[in-house]
Amino acid sequence: MKTTQTIAIIGASGNMGAAISRSLAKGNYRLLLCANNLDKVQAVAEEIRNSNPGAEVEAADCTREASWEADIIIAAVPYAAEQEVAAKIREVANQKVVISIANPLNNTYDGLVTAPETSAAEELQKLLPNSKIVKAFNTTFAADFTTPVIDGRQADAFIAGNDEEALQTVSELVATAGFNPVIAGNLAVSGTLERMQLLLIQLNNKYNYNWLAGWKILHQSANLN
Amino acid sequence: MYYLFFQHLNSKVQLTEEEQAQIKTYLTFKKLRKKQYLLQEGDVCKVIAFVEKGALRAFSVDDNSNEHIIQFGLEGWTISDLYSFLTGEPATYNIEALEDSELVIISKSAHEELLQTMPKYETFTRLNITGAYLAMQRRLTSTNSSSVEERYQDFISLYPHIAQRVPQHMIASYLGLTPETLSRIRKRISSK
Repeated sequence: MKTTQTIAIIGASGNMGAAISRSLAKGNYRLLLCANNLDKVQAVAEEIRNSNPGAEVEAADCTREASWEADIIIAAVPYAAEQEVAAKIREVANQKVVISIANPLNNTYDGLVTAPETSAAEELQKLLPNSKIVKAFNTTFAADFTTPVIDGRQADAFIAGNDEEALQTVSELVATAGFNPVIAGNLAVSGTLERMQLLLIQLNNKYNYNWLAGWKILHQSANLN
Repeated sequence: MYYLFFQHLNSKVQLTEEEQAQIKTYLTFKKLRKKQYLLQEGDVCKVIAFVEKGALRAFSVDDNSNEHIIQFGLEGWTISDLYSFLTGEPATYNIEALEDSELVIISKSAHEELLQTMPKYETFTRLNITGAYLAMQRRLTSTNSSSVEERYQDFISLYPHIAQRVPQHMIASYLGLTPETLSRIRKRISSK
């Protein structure tokens, strides 16, 4: 696509939000970085501009305004904050792609706070019924964004959602960030993806991967018949 | 954010509150800043944009890099590359904001779903496309058979508010004139 798309990244001063912002600044996107603390998010914007002078990036303190301006919205906030964000952007996020990156972990990192039949992404869809919620960037650690090729293999990044066009849009974002996009299925698959990250976090803590680890599906070449 | 859009819609087809609420769920609200693009040539145009606030222009670029303005879009108007929107072929127009603008956008998928489910939206679409066709025929006739002076005067009387908001060289481009020719015509008219 030639036309520059505008992406609002809510929570861009956080670990994940900043990592996503840095990696998407490489693509044909205009980024609006939002956070409650404008100073922090301005620092992220400045750092991106310093390392990539061509990047179109701006800090914003108003989540609703930025989401109104945007074509795509990334909710890079913890699960607990999704409700508050949804209330702010509800009207302006109509029909837009909204990416849920949250993993609804409990405080001890040994389980999820969501009920088994749902997920953070599906709960966000309930809060934003007229938006196209897509689960993405939840199976990758923040450090993976600077090193998407780990031990010689490009990490897979899984995507789930119900709208075909939205899935394609997000696949392009994931590829721009340097990962291998894998569309896993409709939004109901989000629960599985969130549990995959729970497992990865547990393995990280057990085997000390130093937060640089990811998923890779080993498979034969796709059978095109 | 959508006041003018529904005012426009209601002036063509009177909607109930429920119908209005239903249509609202299909709309995308988008802001563009001055000089940003809604569409660039080569992409498929997947939207019809209603201008809630601001001003835009649709233009094509020829092989010698000259811009030709096809249409302006001010408050209350819709702007799109309808050919690309309807056929799915790559757009030949660019659509750029001339001022900071607020748009109410109907995507192709929302448009098709609304056509299927809401007869009043279908009526609205027919009236809109009929209006666009009439405007195009008027523009074509004017370009082919009016003197340049008549073309300019027709434009001013039809769209007085555009002339006040848009730079002269863009009006010249819209009328298919060089800025110098337009300037001469304006002098001639004012000296009459």
